[in-house]
Amino acid sequence: MNESPPALQLSQITKRFAGTAGPLDILNGVDLAMSGGEAVAVTGPSGSGKSTLLYIVGLLDEPTGGTLTITGEQPLEFDTAAQARFRNRNIGFVFQDHHLLPQLTVLENVLIPTLPLGGADATAETRARQLLERVGLGERIDHRPARISGGERQRVAVCRALINQPKLLLADEPTGNLDQATAESVGSLLLEIAAEQQTMLICVTHSLELAGRFPRRYELVGGRLEPR
Amino acid sequence: MKTGPLLLRSLLHYWRTNLAVLLGVVAATAVIGGALVVGDSVRDSLKQMSLDRLGNVSHALSGGRFVREDLADLLAATPAEGVELTGVAPAIAMAGSVEHEQAETSDVSARITRAGRVNVYAVDQRFWDLTTAEATAPEGNQAVVNRQLADHLGLKVDDEISVIIEIPAAIPRDALLGDRDETVTELLLTVTAIAEDEATLGRFGLNPTQQLPQNVYVSLDTLQQQVGLNAVRRTRRNPVAKPARVNALFAGIADEASAKGPNAEFAAEALTGQLHDELTLADLSLKLVGSEVRGYVSLESEQMILERTVADAAAEVAAELNAETSPVLVYLLNEIWNRESPDRYSMYSIVAGVDFEADPPFGPFEFVEGGPPAANSRRQIVINDWLAEDLGVSVGDEIGVKYKVVGDRGELPDEEMSFEVAGIVRLDGPAADPGMTPYVAGITDADTFSDWRQPFPMDLDRVTDRDEDYWDAHKTTPKLFLPLSVAQSLWESRYGELTSLRLAPPGGGDLDTFADEFEQRLLDALPPTSTGLVISPVMYQGVQAAAGTTDFTGLFIGFSFFLILSATILVGLLFRLGIERRVTQIGLLTAVGLTPREVRRLFLLEGAIVVAVGGLVGSLAAIGYAWLMIYGLKTWWIGAIGTRFLYLSVCPLSLAIGFTIAVIVALLAIWWSMRQLRGISTRELLAGVSDFSESTAGRGLHSRVAGRTAMVAGLIAAVLLLGSLTGLVPDDQEAFGGFSWQVVAFFVTGIAALVASLAGLSAVLKSDRAAAVRGKGIAALARLGLRNSARHRQRSVLTASLIASATFVIVAVAAGQRNPAVEAPVRQSGNGGFTLVAETSTPILYDLNTPDGRIQAGMGDGLSEEEQELIASARIVPFRVRPGENASCLNLYQTQLPTILGVPQDVIDLMTDEDRFKFANTPSDAPWTLLDEDRGENVVPVLGDMNTLQYSLHKGIGQTLPVPDTDVELQIAGMFDGSVFQGVLVMSEERFLELFPEEAGFEYFLIEVDPARATELADLLETRLSDYGFDAERVSDRLASFLAVQNTYLSTFQTLGGLGLLLGTLGLATVMLRNVLERRGELALLRAVGYRNTHVGLLVLWENAFLMLWGLAAGTISALLAMLPRLVSIGADVPWTNLELLLLAVFVVGMLAALAAVKEAIRLPILATLRSE
Repeated sequence: MNESPPALQLSQITKRFAGTAGPLDILNGVDLAMSGGEAVAVTGPSGSGKSTLLYIVGLLDEPTGGTLTITGEQPLEFDTAAQARFRNRNIGFVFQDHHLLPQLTVLENVLIPTLPLGGADATAETRARQLLERVGLGERIDHRPARISGGERQRVAVCRALINQPKLLLADEPTGNLDQATAESVGSLLLEIAAEQQTMLICVTHSLELAGRFPRRYELVGGRLEPR
Repeated sequence: MKTGPLLLRSLLHYWRTNLAVLLGVVAATAVIGGALVVGDSVRDSLKQMSLDRLGNVSHALSGGRFVREDLADLLAATPAEGVELTGVAPAIAMAGSVEHEQAETSDVSARITRAGRVNVYAVDQRFWDLTTAEATAPEGNQAVVNRQLADHLGLKVDDEISVIIEIPAAIPRDALLGDRDETVTELLLTVTAIAEDEATLGRFGLNPTQQLPQNVYVSLDTLQQQVGLNAVRRTRRNPVAKPARVNALFAGIADEASAKGPNAEFAAEALTGQLHDELTLADLSLKLVGSEVRGYVSLESEQMILERTVADAAAEVAAELNAETSPVLVYLLNEIWNRESPDRYSMYSIVAGVDFEADPPFGPFEFVEGGPPAANSRRQIVINDWLAEDLGVSVGDEIGVKYKVVGDRGELPDEEMSFEVAGIVRLDGPAADPGMTPYVAGITDADTFSDWRQPFPMDLDRVTDRDEDYWDAHKTTPKLFLPLSVAQSLWESRYGELTSLRLAPPGGGDLDTFADEFEQRLLDALPPTSTGLVISPVMYQGVQAAAGTTDFTGLFIGFSFFLILSATILVGLLFRLGIERRVTQIGLLTAVGLTPREVRRLFLLEGAIVVAVGGLVGSLAAIGYAWLMIYGLKTWWIGAIGTRFLYLSVCPLSLAIGFTIAVIVALLAIWWSMRQLRGISTRELLAGVSDFSESTAGRGLHSRVAGRTAMVAGLIAAVLLLGSLTGLVPDDQEAFGGFSWQVVAFFVTGIAALVASLAGLSAVLKSDRAAAVRGKGIAALARLGLRNSARHRQRSVLTASLIASATFVIVAVAAGQRNPAVEAPVRQSGNGGFTLVAETSTPILYDLNTPDGRIQAGMGDGLSEEEQELIASARIVPFRVRPGENASCLNLYQTQLPTILGVPQDVIDLMTDEDRFKFANTPSDAPWTLLDEDRGENVVPVLGDMNTLQYSLHKGIGQTLPVPDTDVELQIAGMFDGSVFQGVLVMSEERFLELFPEEAGFEYFLIEVDPARATELADLLETRLSDYGFDAERVSDRLASFLAVQNTYLSTFQTLGGLGLLLGTLGLATVMLRNVLERRGELALLRAVGYRNTHVGLLVLWENAFLMLWGLAAGTISALLAMLPRLVSIGADVPWTNLELLLLAVFVVGMLAALAAVKEAIRLPILATLRSE
């Protein structure tokens, strides 16, 4: 039986920072392979490089070495503009802070990633509404971020990350700013939607509870991913 | 979701920030557009003033020469081709003085008020019609005065005034036979109307200036009668008929557009041509005196001397006509005597320089003994047999002659010479021709010597019967003859070298026919430029002069430079504050797939919309700003322009230019703000990093850049400063737009020093070791405050920049102030050591430093001993004057040829010996001697004031300016520095008299006297010399009036700098508030760990104070460095106390602005704030 190639492949990813006391290796050859619909949680202590790894995968940071393959392409070799396009089409982000634009409504915030594609058409808007309905915010689409709760804002951020039907969803401490109940709800939502959309999900978190709900779990130790 | 709605939502959501940016753009646009509108307004107002002051007079003849009044009618009756005239008005235009005896009232005792240098216009109804006056022209003893004169003298309708003018003299007053006694005349007139400032008559004048003149209008007939220029019919008593004369013709052409436009020049040429077609010799003060008996005509001048150009042209025409010619120069000898027997003498005889070889009818002379003198012998002479007998001399004997020569100061010293009698001619034939001497009224037509109009005190007691017999029988027939060249070398004057040119038709043709042909050909041969009878397109010239005026656009942009800079910095700062708040949005947009360029474009577009709207609003505000500036120029800063007749003139193009410039500048500021985000990674942006230097890529780099910038800018400032101090930066050459290199060096030095100090601040803030947080008490708080100000370094630097630029303006302006009123006379300064400067309406021929001169000038009688002692204690230095345009900074119009002063040689020597006046960049240790240098044919060296040369004439040392209608160029040899000679050029008297021989006497005086007695002396001279219109004022006052313009400009600069400071303070308050709001959590924490509110307040205040102090110090030091070349010069008068108070006020205002932030910092409840964080 021929196994299909992984949709995401990290090979020997390294990251070194120049520091006052000499170079500091944060990532020391990270390897990871994922297929569509898979969900991975990465845990590790503060400063272990979890977020750095996530940003490298999300093309928002450059590794010092190693290769990154996403859906058969090696976007690290693209120029900045091409990387932006690639990111727009293939990668969705959910940050610890929701980063919603206060001047826009909930619906408009979700549609933000459609801007690089020339703006939202009716299809995109329908999808945005569906996503918001799906996360239980159907009644809040015209609200401004200031008028919804923290959990709701993070759910909007999840919808925003999914609006372009990305192949890869990256979540950086998505529940870090939420209370336990809300965190649980957002965590569930991420896993459910990723599964529904057949989107690969990498979630970086401190929360062992959240990580425990992921089928694949890794801990970043000494700059390498150790399965847990 | 599209870009449009996103932009709209963002614009509305961040309306406070956007509004602040918008207001900044409004300020920048208003200032730039307003400056352009001010420039337009001044130009258009001056143009309108040119039109208003001329009424319908588009063309004028005003050469000083008196021509027939009939020419006005002839010009009007037979218009030149293509020129339709609305009228031609003859007039006499002269300078004079006006006196008014104010009646005693309950408040004021009776007193006489005087006004010197008043424009006297003698006119009739034709002038009135041209100047659109409603009433009728003055007649009889009526006078109309303008408001300026009325206010000066306190005149009202029905008041009596005395108008004192110089009597136009046929023979120049400083010539031997010039009339020195009756030089002025007085008209007693009644004021019948006062012409208001708004009316043409209220401001009538041909020279372009915005300052209102003092005018009096009198009846043409009355003045002509008074000064003997009226028509005289030939009668037995008056054997010579004379036409009425005028010295000005004012014409209006019907086509208004042509009157103001370039076509006016063609019309002027056509009118000049037509005028010359109508001229007769009489209009040039020439006449042909026929001698039927002797068969010749003699070309004579009413001035007694034929002008060189006339004599040359006449000789050429005579040659063309093959006429026999005899040029003659006669002179009056007071006494001739036998050297052997001095008791044998003859009084008041004529000597003639002639050609002894002349053919009939001018020769040959019949010698009874001897013959003509040896060629060019200055020792031999020929006398007639009557004189030989009278003196008892024969050939070989010595005779003595005594005659008067014309001195420099109107004196007529006696000269004596001895001649050997070379030949004796018979008093017959060509040698017995009284026609060799031209007609001189009052002398040649006198019956006896006692009837002579004595040109000097004559010793009639020594006149013998034989003298009277000779006069009776032979009148002006010369008794002595010399070769013409010898006579010319002895007695030629600056006016010419012939007294007549006798002409005989070839072959004994008809004398009348020959005379007519000669006259016509001579008139044709004399170009208008040589006669000075040129009709000028005065209206067009006025419009042109208005167009080339002082560039007020550049001036106001210059004045507003730091205001624009402040507004731009504020725009950048405010936009940046907005961006900093939204930095995570930028990160997000990048994260979701927008390229950094797309994100920047999105924000730039948002900024561009704000800027565009701000620009549009600013364009409207520009009109308001310009209105305010115009209002300021008419009121607060009237000293800068001296006229209230400015109006707002809005040109859409200027607004569009202002809009474009402001928008581009603001967009650059915004682009620069956005550019600061380059290099910050998305991750850092998402984390809220907004300062590149805080980013991973920028760490360390920025401090190095800041340090290097500080060094390079400091080096530039130092080099320029050294260049300015050592004179390497020329201050006499225009760099661009009317700014000299010195001014450019000032700006560049100032900006470089500012940049250096602010880059230094940036480097200091970057240095972590700048202020380690340690210790206790207020010092520790101060250090913590300093560290806090390093938190957003760029923000802090921008804030300090705002303060620094405003401070720079205030300090630089204060350092540029001068107070000439307190300047004592100092020889090496702008006053040259003189206390008074005086001008007259009528030239004074005499040396006022000598008792004789004072007596001759008419101020000798009745002086008390004290007054005599006062005058004797003063030194009065005279200058000749060629009136021209006022080229000082008091005149906004572009000038062609300013008034020229002629400096006598003894004054040049005095100035040189005593090292008087201060010069700028003049390449000589004895600058006054430059006036004597030979700079080649037709090049005359002149000295001028630096301000006049740079800002009015736009000339530097070595450059030339032409003297209109001549081939002569004036070359700038040196520059006075801030002198009383503003607005004029100075040349040597020798060159002056070559160029302007017609300018007799002295009309400008500098007087050295004890300052404590200056007012007393001024009063004495003004009273005693009132006939001359003597008008004296303190040199310091004159300098003050010049410097008032400069100081007014400085206060304008200061006002606009103050507005910049306001913007700076606004910026500071905004930044402080923002800092506090951003750090409310930190501040709450400090309070939570035990800091008292006072501590927190001090912390914030210190942070503010640090930036304020740095800004103030940077601005002050930069300004003082930039102004150092000026501060080390004489006359700098920095009001240090005021300056210190002002800077203190700036500091206090800034600290007050910070108090709002302090209040905010301690207002928030600790717990809620910590929780919200």
